[in-house]
Amino acid sequence: MLEILTNPNKFFEAKKDEEVSLKIPALIVLIIGIISGIGAYFMGGLTAEMLSGTLPSEAQAFLSFISISTAIIAVIASFIFWIVFAVIFFGLSCIFKGEGKFKRTLEFVGYGYIPMIISGIISAIFIYNIVSTAHIPAVTDPAMIGIALEPLMKSPMMLLSYAINILFMLWSANIWVFGLKHARNITTKNALITVAIPMAAYVLWTIYQMGVM
Amino acid sequence: MRKTIPTFIFLFFFVIAVATSGVSAANTASSATEEHKASVMISDCTVNPEAPMCNDIGTVTVTVKNMELYKSVNIKEVQMLSQGIKVLSDSYFNPGSLGPGGDLSLTFTIKATCPDGIYYPKVIVNGEGAQSIRYSFPVTVDSSPLTIAVKDVPEDIFSGERAKIELVVGNPRPNNVTAVKIVTEYKDVMPAEVFIGTLSADDSEVAAFFFTPQESGDYFLNFKLQFKNGDNYHYTDLSVPLTVTESKKSAELILTGIEEESLPGMNVYKITGDINNAGLEAANSVVMKVGDAEGIEAMQPYKAYFVGLLNADDFSSFELNVKVEGNKTQVPLIIEYKDEDGILFSEHEYISVESTQGIASTGELPVPMIAVVIVIAILVIGMISYSWKKR
Repeated sequence: MLEILTNPNKFFEAKKDEEVSLKIPALIVLIIGIISGIGAYFMGGLTAEMLSGTLPSEAQAFLSFISISTAIIAVIASFIFWIVFAVIFFGLSCIFKGEGKFKRTLEFVGYGYIPMIISGIISAIFIYNIVSTAHIPAVTDPAMIGIALEPLMKSPMMLLSYAINILFMLWSANIWVFGLKHARNITTKNALITVAIPMAAYVLWTIYQMGVM
Repeated sequence: MRKTIPTFIFLFFFVIAVATSGVSAANTASSATEEHKASVMISDCTVNPEAPMCNDIGTVTVTVKNMELYKSVNIKEVQMLSQGIKVLSDSYFNPGSLGPGGDLSLTFTIKATCPDGIYYPKVIVNGEGAQSIRYSFPVTVDSSPLTIAVKDVPEDIFSGERAKIELVVGNPRPNNVTAVKIVTEYKDVMPAEVFIGTLSADDSEVAAFFFTPQESGDYFLNFKLQFKNGDNYHYTDLSVPLTVTESKKSAELILTGIEEESLPGMNVYKITGDINNAGLEAANSVVMKVGDAEGIEAMQPYKAYFVGLLNADDFSSFELNVKVEGNKTQVPLIIEYKDEDGILFSEHEYISVESTQGIASTGELPVPMIAVVIVIAILVIGMISYSWKKR
């Protein structure tokens, strides 16, 4: 499995001769989802604490539901993103007359998520650090949550977290290049273009979110 | 002796008859000489303005007409002379020849440098082979200005309420004046200018102004009446003293129950409270806004709050969001409303806010964290490079 990080070309070359199996990729995505869910849980807890002033005492139990639901949404979102990335890569590779089943593409894209596990753990630690040190204001108007969270989302720690995510996303993208090359039987150059387009959009969007642009 | 008396009588009548015939012959000879001189006359004379004021500049237009039916007349000189009125323009030399029945209009510029009164300038016309004319005409110099006075003004004028002030302009002069207008520069008076136009002799016009004082106290509203007599501008000033007192009925908006909720870190405050109408009249279209000030910025979702109609003894809650930067502790609020006439009123209030601490961490990046990121970046770049070498 370590070979996918060090020599993804060789890994996928060998893997394409095997039967398509989504078990391990799904497990990888699930792990990422759980890690993301932990981070989302922390953020949901922060939001719930801010909203504590808006709800009556009998509805305070609802606040814990916010954290849990946020975590569940994060897990589900991880699977959705997995499928969305696979669809985009599959669609773009069609331009280069790529061959191969979508299921194979989905499998290889799932393997490419491995570096994101590390970034997910780091992000979760960062979020925990941010949430635990933040002074949380009570908000009586739900519409003000966005304004209240804005400085937090643009805090240096959070920006650092974004930067780490971009780095690991680039690592994943590198793996996806070789994964697509073998999953869709296209040249390395075409695979690079296929991956680079959505990755460039993602990186630009993330930088925009950071408020740098 | 009996023959002497009839002879004497005969001689007497003879002498009388001879003398009479001699005079008649002389008269006949004289008439024959004058028949050779053509007849010209001044057929029209117009003074503009009809009645100049002292120091006014005007014009006199005279029309010289040839009364001959078959003979032309060469006009050699037309000049105007006056002792009271100053003639500014020169005489006309050889202005032209007038055909039978023809006429010629000539204009002289005059200046009424004299006191009020009636003056008789002369126009002298010398024509070749024509009788010389000396024509006098009257010019009335009257320096009476237009009058402006207050026709109607409310007994009580209240701050924040509109008061109608009516002024009457009269023309005691013997002639019409033009371009009559009343101007005021006072900012609380609308309109700033009322144009009346031509005002006939012994006529009057009423002009209405609306005065909406914002504060109570003594006021002197200055109006300037401007008019033209001919081409000469004249001015008359009017100062209207007024005493403005506080209104006893108008809407009186006061804020109570003010609470500010801070969102630390963003320095965003949610200001809530009640706005009450403690007056006896309704306040229409009440809008609350965050005032302009350095370091103060209105924020969504409530940059402004529309309260709407606020009847007397009624109240409404409001909410505003504001971002306070720096060390600002006072947030300016503007309350705007309209009275039943649609006049906009504006009140200013200040809300005190307490400075807050930041929401998130101090904003400083821990050095180890930066080091970790650098290490990660090197690791990722290394792994990517390695994977491309191995392929």
